[in-house]
Amino acid sequence: MPENRNTRSLRLGIAGPVGVGKSSLIATICRAMADELQLGVITNDIYTDEDARFLRSAGVLAPERIRAVETGACPHTAIRDDITMNLIAVEDLERDFEKLDIVLIESGGDNLTATFSPALVDAQIFVLDVAGGGDVARKGGPGIARADLLVVNKTDLAQYVGVDVDRMVADATAAREGRSVLALSRTDENSVAELRLWLLDLLDQHISGSHVPQDPGPMAPHFHADEEGGFVHSHEDTDSNNQPHNHIHNH
Amino acid sequence: MATNVPERSKPQLDSTTLAMMFADARLPVGGHVTSSGLEPALRAGLTKRLVPDYMLSRAGSVSLVEAGVAVMARRIALSCDGLALSRELETLEEAWAARTPSQELRNVSRSLARGYLRLAGHLWPDDHAIALCNSKARNTSRSVAIGVIAAVAGLDAQSLVRLSVYDDAQTIASAMLKLEPLDPTITVGWVMDSCLSVEPVVGSLSQISNIDAIPASGAPQIEEWAELHSLTTKRLFRA
Repeated sequence: MPENRNTRSLRLGIAGPVGVGKSSLIATICRAMADELQLGVITNDIYTDEDARFLRSAGVLAPERIRAVETGACPHTAIRDDITMNLIAVEDLERDFEKLDIVLIESGGDNLTATFSPALVDAQIFVLDVAGGGDVARKGGPGIARADLLVVNKTDLAQYVGVDVDRMVADATAAREGRSVLALSRTDENSVAELRLWLLDLLDQHISGSHVPQDPGPMAPHFHADEEGGFVHSHEDTDSNNQPHNHIHNH
Repeated sequence: MATNVPERSKPQLDSTTLAMMFADARLPVGGHVTSSGLEPALRAGLTKRLVPDYMLSRAGSVSLVEAGVAVMARRIALSCDGLALSRELETLEEAWAARTPSQELRNVSRSLARGYLRLAGHLWPDDHAIALCNSKARNTSRSVAIGVIAAVAGLDAQSLVRLSVYDDAQTIASAMLKLEPLDPTITVGWVMDSCLSVEPVVGSLSQISNIDAIPASGAPQIEEWAELHSLTTKRLFRA
């Protein structure tokens, strides 16, 4: 068994395009788990402080545990190339609340290539929603393909936008080569329960030191030439001993 | 002045390289979140046509105050240690605050300082002056942080002055392209003009040796714009 136990909080990034329900997902997580875990939230609004205000007014977490970081019109920069401001905010939060289990970091809504740096987060959830189009999952992108978990959100709306959820989940699973996909609706208790289990499992792995932060992108797998003929370098081929995540999908 | 300054014996980069490094927007210090007051100015009604004048007026006022503070911070960090270092920097912070009436601008400066100090703390983990600024990390102003870093890194005083002015001007130029986009070659010209405008005072400013010699020109309009902007929630930049 790995010796290193992680006493630092699990830093979990929430990424995805505008309007998919990132803030709502965070509220759902807080509502489901604030009683059993010590949580903190960092929001990255681009143009407003609305995400932070929404979360505070939802009453799911003490307002002082929700902090906003302004990203100066560069949401992708603040979570990847220059993570300074976010890192300072996370470290401040961890220092102010002695024992935090999970710090959730919400990125500003951005395009499909925006992903978190593994130096800022230990794991990331990429969120899509059914109203964004059933074909988005198939088109892929680094976040969709290689984030630790892909959430297909707002499944309760699928019927109104003509999307077949099972099909979308199957497409996503194929695009992700089998990595975890979760079909979620905040009104579907079972799906929320599955999300909670996934989080608790991730937290366990983090604490035991068996979880290794992965970078989902932006590079697709590529070839390195060397004396022995070369090898394909892709971001999932690392020397890690973490178990493949279980499939989670709704029926 | 105390004389027990710890030996900074690690090999140091040449000042030109250091200046380039610190002026580079790619330096990981979170600098991309500010517009050096451009957004507040535009929102309050400054016309596009007047932006180069805005840049020039800052170069001759706010930037020189900040540069003077940085020069003094560098001087103090090079010549003081222990209690004297702590006391002198404290006094310098007060002098900076007295020249920066806007609470919002003081807050922004301190927030930006943290990015620099985080970087410096990693690059020079054993340096006492940086550790001191970092320990009161929530209160060190950006100019003091940069001045102390200049002392540790080996950046000369004249380059420090030029860096302060250039950085402020370039921040405005970059923000301009997001707020009121125009041919970017035009904004480059503005930055060069701003830097040229302060050349006559670079020499004397780099040699000030006491806090009272720090420029104290105020810019009340800029302060007012900053305060107004702090109340806005729909904005791209914090300042």
